Amino acid sequence: MRGWIDRRYQLTPLFEFLRHKEVPIGSHWMGWYYLGGVTMFFFVVQVITGVLLLMYYQPGEATSYESIRFLTTKVPFGWLIRSIHSWSAHLMIISLTLHMFSTMMLKAYRPPREITWVSGYLLFLLTLGFGFSGYLLPWNKLAYFATTVGTNIVHSVPLLGDWLLQVLRGGHDVTINTLYRFFAGHVVILPLAFVGLIGLHLLLIQRQGMAPPVGTTTAPRGMKFFPSFALRDLLLWFACLMLLATLAVFLPYGPGIPGMDWELGQKADPFAPAYPGIKPEWYFLWEYQLLKEFPPHLFGLEGPQVCLFVIAILLGIWAIIPWMDRRAYRNMHSPAFSDFGWGAILFLTYLTLMGWDIGAKSGSDDPASLQNIAHTCALWTLAAGVVVVVVRAWRFEHRWFILTGAVLLHIVLHGLVGMSYLVAALIAVVAAAIVIIATYLLGRGNWSAAA
Amino acid sequence: MKTLSIFAGLVLLSTGAFAADQSEVKPSSKLAALLDAKDESGKPIITPEQRSYFEGLNDNLKEMLNHAADKETISRAEHLSILLGLQLSPQKMELLLQNNCILCHSDSANHTPDTLFSTTVEPGSHMNLNDVVEDVHFRRGISCAGCHGGDPTADLGHDMVKEWPEKDRDKNRAWVVAFCARCHADPAKMHDFNPALPTDQLAKFKTSPHGHRLLDLHDDRAPSCVSCHGVHGIRPAKDPKSKVYAQRVPDTCGACHANAAIMAGITRADGSPMPTTQLAEYRTSVHGRALLERGDLGAPRCNTCHGNHAASPPGVAQVSKSCSICHSANSGLFDGSKHKQAFDQHNWPECGKCHSDHNIAKTGDTMLSTAAGGLCGDCHRQYAADHPECIQTADYFHQTIAQMDEARSRFSAESEKLASRGLDVEPISNQLTELTDTLKKSRTYVHSFSRSTFQQAAAPGLAAITKTEELTKVAHEEFEYRRWGLRASIVVIGILMLAIYLKLRQLEKRS
Repeated sequence: MRGWIDRRYQLTPLFEFLRHKEVPIGSHWMGWYYLGGVTMFFFVVQVITGVLLLMYYQPGEATSYESIRFLTTKVPFGWLIRSIHSWSAHLMIISLTLHMFSTMMLKAYRPPREITWVSGYLLFLLTLGFGFSGYLLPWNKLAYFATTVGTNIVHSVPLLGDWLLQVLRGGHDVTINTLYRFFAGHVVILPLAFVGLIGLHLLLIQRQGMAPPVGTTTAPRGMKFFPSFALRDLLLWFACLMLLATLAVFLPYGPGIPGMDWELGQKADPFAPAYPGIKPEWYFLWEYQLLKEFPPHLFGLEGPQVCLFVIAILLGIWAIIPWMDRRAYRNMHSPAFSDFGWGAILFLTYLTLMGWDIGAKSGSDDPASLQNIAHTCALWTLAAGVVVVVVRAWRFEHRWFILTGAVLLHIVLHGLVGMSYLVAALIAVVAAAIVIIATYLLGRGNWSAAA
Repeated sequence: MKTLSIFAGLVLLSTGAFAADQSEVKPSSKLAALLDAKDESGKPIITPEQRSYFEGLNDNLKEMLNHAADKETISRAEHLSILLGLQLSPQKMELLLQNNCILCHSDSANHTPDTLFSTTVEPGSHMNLNDVVEDVHFRRGISCAGCHGGDPTADLGHDMVKEWPEKDRDKNRAWVVAFCARCHADPAKMHDFNPALPTDQLAKFKTSPHGHRLLDLHDDRAPSCVSCHGVHGIRPAKDPKSKVYAQRVPDTCGACHANAAIMAGITRADGSPMPTTQLAEYRTSVHGRALLERGDLGAPRCNTCHGNHAASPPGVAQVSKSCSICHSANSGLFDGSKHKQAFDQHNWPECGKCHSDHNIAKTGDTMLSTAAGGLCGDCHRQYAADHPECIQTADYFHQTIAQMDEARSRFSAESEKLASRGLDVEPISNQLTELTDTLKKSRTYVHSFSRSTFQQAAAPGLAAITKTEELTKVAHEEFEYRRWGLRASIVVIGILMLAIYLKLRQLEKRS
């Protein structure tokens, strides 16, 4: 049989390639290598459960909510499919985020793998797009108002904001036309783009192999991809399947945390008063909170516009890290960029915790409560920051903490001292710049010493 | 020719527009001086808000202000500031500027505190300027002169105090009633101001104990119109600041009825002293809390049961009539029950016997208890010991209602738990709605004091309990099925994982 296929398609070179393919074993934990596979597994689950949901879902003003209700209450195992689809979406974003940060910390983006990083980054953005578009599809009250708030952000894009909003919503307001667009995006446009990009991503990984530890071009040891790594991957996927099934049975509507809750509730009613305490999904909370921290007007522009600009800059920097990290480019350790990664994690953590209103006493909008939220979230993030710094210094012998320090200083000034978020950020940025320049000067103009 | 007509028309229109713009009234030199005046520290006396209010006034009102300033009815910037600071509607401002009494009495330079209409004294005190301009009579054009006499448009007019007794006005205030009734008992006069307002207040008042005490006994403690409605700040009953606004009625009545000094010596029809605890009792009652704490304006207050101008204590036979205004179903069932006759024989106030009067507490199912301390049991042991079947009926009521109440609480909690597990609880919710409705109905049907009538009302609720039990059981079985499914899946996946692990070990050992 194999010979019959091989005579026609010449697969022997491919089998030979796979037989000799090895996963590098270095000084770091092997577990990071499995996160891409786990993300891929959750994506496959999404595709399968998504297709099953499509068999019953009917987009429309009078049918979207009703069809999901019918699916979850009357169709055998309909509840299980929806629950697994929702859980898997959240777990996919978690595993994808971990995969992205582990790649960043291990500097696996360094040449020749820059395009792999960029394609992975685009896959991450597409995954967020999946989450955003899928949220509206049940056409329930929570989704309706969350989408109204979420899409409204687009309005702040300079010059094109109004046009973009209309394109996204299919009109001025969130209507059933918006749902049709989101539906088309969720089941056709995004999957096509995702499959194309994931094909490229996998092709590059197979062609170039997994990145060996920094400082080496070939790993001192390797693990056979087939069967050792692949079977371990399979084991992990089964464990993920177990986890998914358990979560779906015991927590069918999510853990009940705001932004991670998919109970159907009431049908969307555009004429109903806005949902109180509306929050986006947890992975958008940091943006939501950052927008809240900006004043209505700044530098003669609207506050949200400036905020979007800042977010765009941050996301842009993240995309071009492989070209910015010159030490990694030369296959050298780059502690400054490791520190940048940890700073980013603490920055996102603080904003996300605040978006969750951790520490709110009464109404989350009164000044006393906001101060209390900032205080509590600052303490939690600082505690996490101290642990990160100690572990890095003690266990990994890192000595570069300028950016992490700047983020922690920012958190102290905002959360504990009570300064405004932007003033605290400005002070932290200036302090970090001074320290970096001083380090550079002390290093006699050697950026390598500074970094 | 046509073109010429159009041109002429346009010229006329633009001239008209120009003329209209020119017709805007400018402040006279005196008014302008008042508007621009500054205090000792050089700060403008007229605030920007007051200035803006002035700019927004129509031409007529500006003319009137010019007139008042020119004639020096308004001669001080501080006085003008007070008047503009009232921010009155154009209609009220016009009434005010026509009224020399108010213009003069609102200037502190002309008056001592006892005759000054000031905005700084407590609202509700004798002469608060805000009260004066908010008065319902003022709003309808009946100003000071309407009661006090005199000519409000005259420059100085104190030709007043002609309409009531010169002497001993406070000792015998029966004249107040007659004074108000000059208009309020005259349909023709009232038609000019408010045709919808009844004119029978005086006739009703005469029939009331209040009226009897004031008009016949000349008791100076007895209330007259002003006791409840106020004097210079009389507002419509729907105005929350009115003394007779629903939520303020208890305090208005309580001003006398909760005052032991005022009520001293006053007795009820049976000769017992008039109590002064009604207000305190009402405040803690279910009605008082609904009105005063929850702001439910439909909740009964003093006048709902006692009447307004003809206020009197309801007699034994009238109590149930007062209650039935709202509780018609309970009242109707009671009227058809055996208790109606028994209560009448004992001369008991029907509803009041079990529920009390001013201190009506929230009813509870324990009222039906036949044990010692329970309402039904205590009463029946004392008055109807020869009817043991009544105790059994009361027990039946109590047990059935308690059963439904307990089932409702239990199933509600159960339903929430099942919903959080992702199970379809809509059929259970439907049955819970049926159970809740029946429970409410059954509590009402207790007032029939008939086992068969009650049974009919309670039957759907008992059926709902059975049905809910079945549905809950099915839901639990479904959840159990899911758990078993999960366990089976985990076992299968676990076996597969073990197999892969063993295979992996075998392969790695071999290599």
